[in-house]
Amino acid sequence: MSSEPDDRATSKSPEALVDVGLLKEIARKALVDALNSVNGAKTLVLDASLAGPLGLVTEVSLLKHHGVDKMFWLEPGSLSATTPNIVYLCRPMIKYVKIIADHIKRYAKESRKHTYTLFLVPRISTLITRILEEEGVLGDVTISSYNLQFVPLADDVVSLEHENAFKDLWVDGDETVIYDSAQALTTFQKLYGLFPRIVGKGDGAARLATLLSRETPKSSTSSSPDTLLTPSEKIDSLIVLDRRVDMITPLLTQLTYEGLIDELIGIKNSHVELPASLLSPPAPPAASAAGPSTSPPTSTVPLPSLKKDAKKKHHLTTTTDPLFEELRDLNFSSVGRKLNRVARRLDEDYRTNLQSKTVAQLRDFVGKLGGLQTEHQSLRLHTGLSELLVPLTRTEQFNKSLEIQQNLLASYDVSAQISAIEEMIAQGADMQVTLRLLCLASITSGGIKAKTLENIKREILQAYGYNYLPLLLSLASPSLGILLPNPLPANAPLSLTALKYPFTTLRKSLRLLIDDTPEGIDEVENDISFTYSGYAPISIRLVQCVAQKGGVISNPAEKAESDADGKRAAPQGKVQAQPIVGWKGFEDVVAAIPGATVDIVQPGTTGRVPLIASLLEPREHATTTVVFFLGGCTYTEIAALRWVGRQNRGRKFLIATTGIISGASIIDSIAGVGKAAGGSAAI
Amino acid sequence: MVDHPTATWEAMQDGNVFYRRQQLYSVAGKLPNLSDYIVAGCRHGGPLALMRDTSKLIALGRATTSVSKTQIHVYSLAGEALLIISWEQAKIVRFGWTLDERLVVLNEEGVYRLYDLQGDYQQFSLGAEAAELGVIDARIQDNGMVAITGSLTLLEVKGWDGGRPLALANPGLSEPPHVWSVIPPDVNISRHVEVLLSVESTILSVDNLEVVDQRLSRGPFTHISPSPNGKSLALLTFSGALWIVSTDFQRSVDEFDTNTVPGAEGPIRQVEWCGNDAILVTWDSLVLLVGPYGETLTFAHSGPTFAVTEPDGVRIMGPEVCDMIQKVPASSLSIFRPGSTSPSAILYDAWESFTQRMPKADESIRSIRPELAAAVDECIDAAGREWEPYWQRRLLNAAKFGRGFLDLHNPTDFVNMGQTLKVLNAVRYYEIGIPLTYAQYMYGSPSQLVKRLTSRNMHLLALRISAFLGLKPDPVLKHWASAKILRSKPSTTGSGKDAELTGDEEVCKVIVQKFEELGGADVSYADIAKRAWEVGRSGLATKLLEYEPRASDQVPLLLTMQEDQLALEKAVDSGDTDLVYHVLLHLHKRLTLGDFFRLIESGGPKLVAASRLLEVYAREQNRDMLRDFYYSDDRRVESAVLSLDEASRSMDPGAKLAAVKAAQKFFSDDKDRAFEAKMMDESTHLLTLQQQLEKEADGKVEFFGKSVNETINLCLLNGMSKRADKIKSEFKVSDKRFWYLKLHALTALRDFEALEAFSKSKRSPIGYEAFVRHLVEKGHSKEAVRYVAKCDGPKRAELYVLCGEWRMAGAVCKERGDKKGLEDLRKKSPNSMIARELDQIASSMK
Repeated sequence: MSSEPDDRATSKSPEALVDVGLLKEIARKALVDALNSVNGAKTLVLDASLAGPLGLVTEVSLLKHHGVDKMFWLEPGSLSATTPNIVYLCRPMIKYVKIIADHIKRYAKESRKHTYTLFLVPRISTLITRILEEEGVLGDVTISSYNLQFVPLADDVVSLEHENAFKDLWVDGDETVIYDSAQALTTFQKLYGLFPRIVGKGDGAARLATLLSRETPKSSTSSSPDTLLTPSEKIDSLIVLDRRVDMITPLLTQLTYEGLIDELIGIKNSHVELPASLLSPPAPPAASAAGPSTSPPTSTVPLPSLKKDAKKKHHLTTTTDPLFEELRDLNFSSVGRKLNRVARRLDEDYRTNLQSKTVAQLRDFVGKLGGLQTEHQSLRLHTGLSELLVPLTRTEQFNKSLEIQQNLLASYDVSAQISAIEEMIAQGADMQVTLRLLCLASITSGGIKAKTLENIKREILQAYGYNYLPLLLSLASPSLGILLPNPLPANAPLSLTALKYPFTTLRKSLRLLIDDTPEGIDEVENDISFTYSGYAPISIRLVQCVAQKGGVISNPAEKAESDADGKRAAPQGKVQAQPIVGWKGFEDVVAAIPGATVDIVQPGTTGRVPLIASLLEPREHATTTVVFFLGGCTYTEIAALRWVGRQNRGRKFLIATTGIISGASIIDSIAGVGKAAGGSAAI
Repeated sequence: MVDHPTATWEAMQDGNVFYRRQQLYSVAGKLPNLSDYIVAGCRHGGPLALMRDTSKLIALGRATTSVSKTQIHVYSLAGEALLIISWEQAKIVRFGWTLDERLVVLNEEGVYRLYDLQGDYQQFSLGAEAAELGVIDARIQDNGMVAITGSLTLLEVKGWDGGRPLALANPGLSEPPHVWSVIPPDVNISRHVEVLLSVESTILSVDNLEVVDQRLSRGPFTHISPSPNGKSLALLTFSGALWIVSTDFQRSVDEFDTNTVPGAEGPIRQVEWCGNDAILVTWDSLVLLVGPYGETLTFAHSGPTFAVTEPDGVRIMGPEVCDMIQKVPASSLSIFRPGSTSPSAILYDAWESFTQRMPKADESIRSIRPELAAAVDECIDAAGREWEPYWQRRLLNAAKFGRGFLDLHNPTDFVNMGQTLKVLNAVRYYEIGIPLTYAQYMYGSPSQLVKRLTSRNMHLLALRISAFLGLKPDPVLKHWASAKILRSKPSTTGSGKDAELTGDEEVCKVIVQKFEELGGADVSYADIAKRAWEVGRSGLATKLLEYEPRASDQVPLLLTMQEDQLALEKAVDSGDTDLVYHVLLHLHKRLTLGDFFRLIESGGPKLVAASRLLEVYAREQNRDMLRDFYYSDDRRVESAVLSLDEASRSMDPGAKLAAVKAAQKFFSDDKDRAFEAKMMDESTHLLTLQQQLEKEADGKVEFFGKSVNETINLCLLNGMSKRADKIKSEFKVSDKRFWYLKLHALTALRDFEALEAFSKSKRSPIGYEAFVRHLVEKGHSKEAVRYVAKCDGPKRAELYVLCGEWRMAGAVCKERGDKKGLEDLRKKSPNSMIARELDQIASSMK
């Protein structure tokens, strides 16, 4: 696959891709405006869950520039602010407000006068006002809002970075995140124009689509901007998928490079914690000739905690790390090979350049040196990172759980798999690992035999603690229903019976398991199933049902390969992306999945409906399809979607999500294991 | 024949600069003597508010009927009475106008009201502190005010929506300032308000951070007046010296002695700016304009005047006329200045020649051919600056004439100016009385003008202007509908309930019809319905609300109308969770707990979302309420989970145990939850057991709250293996799990003898491979070796390798006759020595 890098190169070209930098600019400006509205030096108190997202849109120097004197985490205990202004920036959560109220009361007791300003993200909440009132400090605080919406994580991924979206929606039934998503998508439409078509699956998705279409004005006489009246030229549709539609994918272990880093080390707001030795360059190169371009990839640490351990946060981004772009979506099994190739190429580059004789050649070489060293640096980083990952993928637990996953997906000897899970519990495997497998077993086989389930639940409670009983109840609750007995008890609510997931039918109709030789999968990425070594994520298959119908039925890459037997499959030989015509062709399949189906055409009100002809004819100019995951998506799904985007000419995908999730983060959030970040001291 | 524009011009600076005095309205006899009144003028041609100055003597007699009562009279600039406000509250300390033409009236108790021109008001307060200390004075600006309290501190109010007043830095005064003034935030460099206080001989500048003493010695001052652009100050000392200085007091611009002015009698009434470089000083019957170089112009009035600074000049209300004094705009100057030879002047001249059929026209046009486009533009602009339609028309005609000689000229400016002038002339008409200049109109916006007209109840004119300018009719319609509701009687004929209904029906129909007719699609029916509700027309409100498409807008009104269930449903439907909370919290406050719960429960599936939100809130903030809520609805599982949540939060063992027991009780009440009940039974059992264990271990080991696995592990680690066995049997821990636990614990203790004994105690339910692997993993390869032999034959070789015993691995292969295995081993061998040994074994096999 020598043409592969070329493919990626073309995918990077700015071919009408929607510029998400604009969103970052908006977020940044709003923050500056918010800070400037408070006069004078101020102490900024920050909710730790916001630090990550904020770090992606701004940096500390900007805050300092706008009068921030000191920064603290918002956490219980006293606050030692020296400035007269104290500015709080947090999500509207009750626990935070209580801390704030506590701070104010403490200061009042010491009769120290401060001016308190509270910026709520993304908007002011009645609830917060009420609680401040109940705590008796409402009069002391000026409440305002900082509307932080989509944060760009990569040039084709934007996220609300809402950590608990999944739990809020399907455990607590708190639909705030749907509303916030609708608002954020409306902002998006204001910038880029109306989504000409909204396609979606799932009850949450339906709710979101309704809210979204309600936000758009009904008549042209209204005061809204023009962009909300005309369908966008750059974007051809919005595909909304709620996480309930595909619970299987996040439960599986992600096998792409970036996904695996998230699974095994953990990525938070695009930052990963790595041993410091991996990040700092060994010694500054003596070659002074290289000039300023030698500066190593700036590992920006936006809001570092004061924890003085050997770990350091590293921002995984393609802007400073070109190699990462090539690696992030590869199946981990081919990462080693790729690194090897890059290393060899670098070596060659160095050597050929060192042979340069004439002055002109030398100057040429010196010019390239900076680039080479950056590449060298990132090669070092990723080699080190892979070395960290390899032993973790060799453990018995990891491999056993992969094996169980693959067997469950193939519905191979389910009861044996359940015993295997039980065995893992006995061995003391991680709670989230065993629970993920158990849920997977329940979904794929339509429930677990009541007696077996009861036994295994008992094992879990004894092994990990009885305090996990609410977690088990949540997993079985009608709103989630991913850990159920089979058959369901006779008096189960109707909503539970309706949740039954038709996995075996889907496996066939959506071609979820690709029977291919393992070597084949590793060698050629000819279907999205490369991401899970043989399993195609349902969510992405559903996107394909809308945007690449052929890809669901057969492997487009394979076809291209066979076509290209004679002549080389040049990039321009790619098929033109088909226009969006909704679920057409897959209505039955989609209907079988629980949850509402959405297909709305938004013609806008200017009457400038795109002609049917132009919809059907392959259009020359490229369009972007926005895929929104309500409840979060995994890195692997992003990788798979990028792959789909590369198969066609004329369509790019922009991935929007409420946050990046993994199976572990779902289970942890439901269990209430707060992975609250942040040290305890000032920044 | 209308006077030539230059008739009102007065020259300054050797005829380089002209000021003009444009008479706007004749108001003879319409206004009372201004010197008896405190006056506040609104900018941008807005009305005047007058209140009798109680410090002045007044001759009793005619027209003094209302002396005893405090009243504020509002007049338009054409002298028409617009409104009379009777004030019943504490003494008024200050009144003034906001940018959107509302009158702010502040009393000494810190209460202020915002009156619109219909006399409707909103009332706000400066807070309890201000009420206690009293307010002695205030300065009201376009978008906020600054007040001085009785303790001589400064309070700032930003905006006019009742925001909380902020304290500015304390200037530490011991007596009220001689005079003070405010530089509004929008013209100040810091974008925050700055207050200037004349104290003793100096001036203090105060903002919300600090007080700066400007260290002047010329004071005290009687007037401080900041220029419209905020860059300069005009100060008047007690001795009558007018001093102009930059706002930062670094640069003295000019000085002028007012004592030398001929004809000036009595004290100086006002010091106001005219533009940014001339100052208007007024005495009782004299108005003096002081130019940049100390040059003066005198304007006579027959009596006391009142001047209001406008962005492009200054407006003077005299006893007989209302005037505008301004610097002649550049375009007018260029055309009309005597002897001007600018292209625009020549163009105008050419047009005049043309109308008189003189051949000179053609010649003139030819001579300015290259600059013709600019000349046309200037004529258009000059037209906008003229007050008299006659001159406007002439200038536009000149522009049109010039345009005919141009090949390409964008007509937009011309058309716009024509439209604008039509609008301006309409509102300048004396019955309307808004003498808006072109510059002021541009500074504001057409929609603002429409708003000003509607607030005067001039709906037809406002609507026509909207239509003429292509604006949306919505704001006008909304205001009209509100006014309509206010004016209409509930019933047209007859009385009683039925008649009221028909009255409502009719009004509603009229309003809806009008909206649909005029395309007011964006008018919020909810707002109008709210208005109807406020005036007690609930029937009408309900009817109007039905037309409101946005659920979120319906909710607040439904709440006030006590349509609780409907409000909650609409809120849920809107998807805005904050709105749902708003309704929930409101209802929680108003209803009894029982009614509140019943309302939510009776809502069925429609209100599920609301009930979930209530749970989220209550779990954090009001757990007692949540307990009651679950209890009243027989939701046992939720009750139990809530108990467990409490258990996990509480630190006290007793409380924890009690909470778990409570959860157990809840589960056992539900026959479908037998499993959960049993688990909780086990949990309580474990907790009690752990308490016992802690006692046995003399409190050295912490058991409480740990899982069964951890408890067993702790027992094993602390040499309580009997106890571990007992727990195993009591909790029916599976053999497998127990073996793993014991394996791990004994390895951690490095008690390999015990481990061996344990491995032999019975046939291992987890096999022996687990032993090998775990020991190797923990770095005890040596110990691991002895268990390899117990493993399955085919695996042994591999396991030996794992332990680092290559030779033994080789031996196993030999034993099993596995050549291929041996070959593999040899390939993997780490060094040559082992390779050689393996070769030996291989050779011995043959």
